[in-house]
Amino acid sequence: MEKKISEKTLKKSFWNWFFFNGCSQQAESMLGMAFGQSMAPVIEELYDTKEEKAEALKRHTTLFNTESQVGSIVNGIVCGMEEANANGKCSPEIISSVKTALIGPTSAIGDSLWVATIIPILLTICLSISQASTATSWLGAALYLVAYPILTCCLSYFLFKFGYRSGLEGMQNIMATGQLDKLTNTMTVMGLIVVGALTASFVSVSLPIQITKDVYDATTGTVLENQVLFNADNMLNSIFPKILPLGLTLGVYHLYAKKRWSPMKLMGLILVMAGVLTGIGYLCGVYV
Amino acid sequence: MNVLQIILIALFIYLGSIGSIVGNTIGWYGLGRPLVAAFIVGLIMGDVGTAMVVGIPLQIMYMGNVTPGGAVAWDLSYATYIGTAGALAFGQGMGTTELIGLAVVFAGIGGLVGQLMWNVSYALNLPLNRLANKYAEAGETKKMYIPNVIGGQAIGFACRFIPAVIILTSMTVASGQADFATLIPGWITTLLSVFGGMMASLGMGIILSFLLKKKYHIVIFLAGFILVTYFGLSTMAVAVVAVITAVLYFVAYDRVKVEA
Repeated sequence: MEKKISEKTLKKSFWNWFFFNGCSQQAESMLGMAFGQSMAPVIEELYDTKEEKAEALKRHTTLFNTESQVGSIVNGIVCGMEEANANGKCSPEIISSVKTALIGPTSAIGDSLWVATIIPILLTICLSISQASTATSWLGAALYLVAYPILTCCLSYFLFKFGYRSGLEGMQNIMATGQLDKLTNTMTVMGLIVVGALTASFVSVSLPIQITKDVYDATTGTVLENQVLFNADNMLNSIFPKILPLGLTLGVYHLYAKKRWSPMKLMGLILVMAGVLTGIGYLCGVYV
Repeated sequence: MNVLQIILIALFIYLGSIGSIVGNTIGWYGLGRPLVAAFIVGLIMGDVGTAMVVGIPLQIMYMGNVTPGGAVAWDLSYATYIGTAGALAFGQGMGTTELIGLAVVFAGIGGLVGQLMWNVSYALNLPLNRLANKYAEAGETKKMYIPNVIGGQAIGFACRFIPAVIILTSMTVASGQADFATLIPGWITTLLSVFGGMMASLGMGIILSFLLKKKYHIVIFLAGFILVTYFGLSTMAVAVVAVITAVLYFVAYDRVKVEA
């Protein structure tokens, strides 16, 4: 009789992965133990003898790594292959090599599309909501906390089931259609506009240089003290509003993306610049 | 902070760290984000409004911290829970900009400790492989959760919860010693607020490195920027404009491609 993984076991395998994928991350097998735990119920159902179970468990506790939310598609694909193997239509070697081969692409898609694009965009939208009014500043946070896990869980489960049903070919088909590019590009446009707005609203830096002088007012015959004759910040902003925050942000981008500076190093640079600007501000009498 | 508050915040630091029992989707990517962390600290300490005042800039600063490739650049959970709690505990009577600067400093301290503890747990998890291999050899499918969940979580919990309790307790003790708003010299609060405002560029700069894929993309970024500076729109209004633009772009995408 053909062996088939029951719906219940598949769900169990998925939840094992969803909740426990990062539990025992380390340098030797990365997410290997978690993957083994995810496969355990499937193996229990598909194989009868202790020896077969041991063989299957051993091949799934070896090195495995991915971006775990999008990477659930690998679990699905492997479930399908194990099912085929139990029916004598696949071999353990193929399962192991496919699993290893999927580490690269699923990590790349997961990190670039989901982690580096969707999360920041969702966060920026929720930030805008939080920022809109101080009375409802909690709203954005609450929205993110509810929306993100639900959205991701649905996607993750869908990919898992998709991997199980359509296997490796299904995944290759999706990647070949270009739908992923379309989605990524759209998200990028949306993200860039919002990030531009956030930069304008939140990054603040000013050049605290001003010249003050006591001015003699001829009409009234009095001396007006500390009149501001020149203010560097006002002058710059009249040319292009918030030009300094824009310049600073693009400078940080340049150093991070093109010169490969680490965030720690950039933080140090910003602290030094803040120190210098504060010093100038005190010397020029902007800060008192 | 009282004992219950310290325990609750430390518990959430653990839950929001990578690989906690609620899974990375709810934990690291949910509870661990600064926006959410500030909200939770606010709820625990009974001052959501002030917590969000520091939470929003912290989120912007750490926006770029999304750990692609699994490398933890900075332990966000530690950084923001400690940062927000520190600002609330020490910042009584301070203005908004000084509060933010204070939160940045505490977040830095928290982030460093978190980074250290991540490395410790990463190393301590290694021997669990021996146990997993033993169960695998024996074909014990029902016991595979023991090394992964029980072992991994015992180590993860110890590495996050205990140091967090220690830091939060010492913060509580220190904050009771003096009135810090009057004690800190004026130039330090000025420096903190200048630093806090400039730090936002870090998060935005790093996010740009993910989003700017083609040279001309910079003008889309500038569009969002001038909508605020020249047109005076709120960020929420710009978000709506962004969604509309994205929908149009999505619809136009295929058509433009066919013609080209």
